[in-house]
Amino acid sequence: MSPRARRAGLSALGLLLLTGLSSCALTWGGYDGDVGLAFGGGYYQPYGYDYGGWGPGYHVGPGRGGPVRGGGPGNFRAASRQAPSIPNGSRGGSRGRR
Amino acid sequence: MNRISRSFSATATAVGGCLLAVVLTVGVDLKAMAASLEFPPVVEPASTEHHVGKVIWVDLLTPDLAAAKQFYGGLFGWTFNDFPSAGARYAVALLDGRPVGGLLQPAAPPGRDRQPAWLTFIAVSDVDAAQRAALAHGAKVLFGPASVERRGRQAVFADPEGAVFAVLASSSGDPPDFMAAPGEWIWSALLVRDPAADASFYKALFGYEVIEAPSEDGLAHLILSSDEYARASANALPSESARRHPHWLNFVRVVDAADAAAKAVSLGGRVLVEPHVDRHGGRVAVVADPAGAPFGLMEWSDSDSKEAAK
Repeated sequence: MSPRARRAGLSALGLLLLTGLSSCALTWGGYDGDVGLAFGGGYYQPYGYDYGGWGPGYHVGPGRGGPVRGGGPGNFRAASRQAPSIPNGSRGGSRGRR
Repeated sequence: MNRISRSFSATATAVGGCLLAVVLTVGVDLKAMAASLEFPPVVEPASTEHHVGKVIWVDLLTPDLAAAKQFYGGLFGWTFNDFPSAGARYAVALLDGRPVGGLLQPAAPPGRDRQPAWLTFIAVSDVDAAQRAALAHGAKVLFGPASVERRGRQAVFADPEGAVFAVLASSSGDPPDFMAAPGEWIWSALLVRDPAADASFYKALFGYEVIEAPSEDGLAHLILSSDEYARASANALPSESARRHPHWLNFVRVVDAADAAAKAVSLGGRVLVEPHVDRHGGRVAVVADPAGAPFGLMEWSDSDSKEAAK
């Protein structure tokens, strides 16, 4: 190989490496520039909002599986039977009441 | 000309060599990072159980893993197993040796406001299908889908109102349904502006049966159910709450919500919603950990279960 061809080859290799490195820099980092490449463990919730300040109207619990009210707000199930409960079987035991 | 050419050639060779070294180094680092990223399976030993629509995992995203361990360990008696990772710190929280969730300190760039939070993972059988359904019904994809070795395939979405959640097709199966012990996650609530519309989104995604629960406060309260179990609720944010953002909130079962809230404060946390009796007859409270990540405390006594089983 002539010196000129070798120089051209080396230059091309440098350009190729530069391109590869740029590409790497652009694609590496994942979500929020951390290990999100595999996990996605960035911060997702928007900042600056209030999660508290509720009065007594903060009722979000599951209920006890009692009767449900009919005529839901949409195509939801009407009150024909008991509302479902949270799982209440014992660990490793029989399946709890549904 | 020859001199210029030689000089250029020498420079190009040097630059090329340096770049080669850098690329090789980066390549090795990436390979090492990929190899060192280790997350535990959701269920161990693996099972074939699957419960689409069930909250099967939660990960705390926090700026201070050590402080979070101290807080949650002190509050719930959790212990922690560190998992090696590169660029982030991750630990699995255990209660009596059983995993209850993960704590992640991402390597976030400095100078940006972040909201530490518990990320809710809901079980799906096919993450990519879930992504298509989510996009078709107005959600945004925040991350993924991506496969995580030993854990499964997952993605993070913002629902049509912006509430953030994740879906996970666990490669080790889903945890069985049982009554949570004190110190374990027992309930999840979705708080949004239009619960009926948002519940329809989740119904499309997870096949939930949506049931309207009795409400004395006039606010919508919907139960999202799968496998005939209540999995979560969809609730209305107060209309006057301009600074409230739609969100998922998970609750840990406690014996006494007031005591637990007081203990959270003594450990550096804050009370966001004072302990009060909720619709199931037990008290709930919402607190924030020292970094500001909100979560709930919920009493559920054995008598509640016996009452419900009648």
